[in-house]
Amino acid sequence: MENRAVYIIAELRKGGIAQETYELMGFVRAIENERKPVFLLVGKNIEEQAREISKKTGCDTLALTGDHLEHYNALSYAHALMEILPGEVAAWVCLPHTSMGYDLAPRLAVPLKSACITGVKSVGGGSLSRPIHSGRFIEEIVPKTPRVVVTVLPGAYRPCEETAGVAGAVRVIEAAFTELPSQTLGTVESIHRDSALKDAEVIVSGGRGIRKRENVLLVKRLAALFPRSAIGASRSACDLGWFERKYQVGTTGQTVSPKLYIACGISGAFQHVSGMRGAQTIVAINTDIHAPIFQVAHYGIVEDLETFIPLLIEATNRTPPFR
Amino acid sequence: MKILVCIKQVPDSSDALLIDERRGLLSYTDDTAFRMNRFDEFALEEALLIRERLPETLVDALSVGPERANAAVQRAMGMGADHGIHILYEADGYRSPFTVASLIAACIHKKNYDLIMTGVMAEDSMACQTGQLIAALLDLPCATSVIKEEVRRERGEVAVEREIEGGNREVVQLKMPAVLTIQPGINFPRYPSFSKVMRARTYAQELIRAEDLAIEDSRESCRRVRIPEPSSQRVFIKGSSQDKAQKLVHILHEKSLLS
Repeated sequence: MENRAVYIIAELRKGGIAQETYELMGFVRAIENERKPVFLLVGKNIEEQAREISKKTGCDTLALTGDHLEHYNALSYAHALMEILPGEVAAWVCLPHTSMGYDLAPRLAVPLKSACITGVKSVGGGSLSRPIHSGRFIEEIVPKTPRVVVTVLPGAYRPCEETAGVAGAVRVIEAAFTELPSQTLGTVESIHRDSALKDAEVIVSGGRGIRKRENVLLVKRLAALFPRSAIGASRSACDLGWFERKYQVGTTGQTVSPKLYIACGISGAFQHVSGMRGAQTIVAINTDIHAPIFQVAHYGIVEDLETFIPLLIEATNRTPPFR
Repeated sequence: MKILVCIKQVPDSSDALLIDERRGLLSYTDDTAFRMNRFDEFALEEALLIRERLPETLVDALSVGPERANAAVQRAMGMGADHGIHILYEADGYRSPFTVASLIAACIHKKNYDLIMTGVMAEDSMACQTGQLIAALLDLPCATSVIKEEVRRERGEVAVEREIEGGNREVVQLKMPAVLTIQPGINFPRYPSFSKVMRARTYAQELIRAEDLAIEDSRESCRRVRIPEPSSQRVFIKGSSQDKAQKLVHILHEKSLLS
């Protein structure tokens, strides 16, 4: 077993601890390190959140606070964290692969002289596995440095259960302010949420693989077969202007957990999958048998949706409901 | 204003890729076609839009890669970049984001760019690192996942909105020089006309050899590339197209998802 220090950089979202922070405990267990992780939380007035982490995980938690740390900023966070992180010669520094994690990880890795390995899905046998080419292949990366900065894909590990043991120690450290060439002013809401998407029991989504704007109609027609249904879309289909932004499912869109999710022509990049993996039944229709969406689907259908959706609609009309 | 856009050449589709079992690497076949990383197209388009807004702006496009990467630089010039730079890097196999960023940083540290832009990630390696690494190596501020930008030249600043989880945006102000990694959806990348693409073939590119740039060794290596384990929960529905439709309808009825 290794004996490196382990740091988990916690993430705050809307004042609470993001679930991805607790998922990192699963990653830490998988690297089979002897030492218990230490959580580092950066922010303003965060003692309560630090206590939550220490209680839930039983790990020591360090809160780095200051008025200037109210909002996430790569430079101010890195400045605060670099007061602590270089203290250990050999260490794992773990972050979630989120807009905070991948923004911050390289900024820490360069001065720590550490390898920076991002978007990690699993670990074992001395290497870190990460999906490449939209998940079609996996590459196994071996760090060559004593310190390693890692970002772990959301959903790769289950969040830890609350520990029955003793809470870890909480220490609050006032981080020094310094003038930096970047400043985060705050956050704004960007999309109008479609509440239909949130409430729907069935969601039929379209991706880049629907190939043309006219085929949005097919997605709509399929959705119309189900009561309490809504249409959704992948990010790239929204970027192409085929769907309105409010239909976007995924990391930067909405997170949904319907009874049934039908993915039409969606490749299944993790950004999309993390927004819909909670669906009870996932059906994927795609022409590419290697599409990563088939990794999360329960039922896979290798077909061209232009021909298949009309057949499916016809089949529902032909098959009488069971009574 | 001087803007640098870093672009990567990626395989057009992962269909034509094979795992070289002996070396544990992905290898390209003769059928592998290459094109510009889509995320970088958004970065280049945004740089060209800034040039349209702010006169006397120059846009350079840079790519690190083997001989064939000059096609990506050419494409960038076809789209409208003023100048092309190709860092010729022949090394086969795993390309560490750190190595690529180090090459770019070493190449540009004296070129005084006000903005360095690139896509939020590459479609093939999916690391989301290169822009941030360039910024960290050159000690510049950086914003990732930028979905809106406003250059305030007179104040030497750029204000951006970056996309974060749950449909929110962070508002960040950066002093230039700065690095921005661009989120898709910020614009609609132009499609250059055939004549522009053809003319770009005659434009000279600045060629720099990777060996001539002093950089540190990569801090990680790739042991092998493999296929993901098949999902245990998934069932492929088989048969003719009609059979598949019929079977799926049955499954949905059984699960009371169709009434």
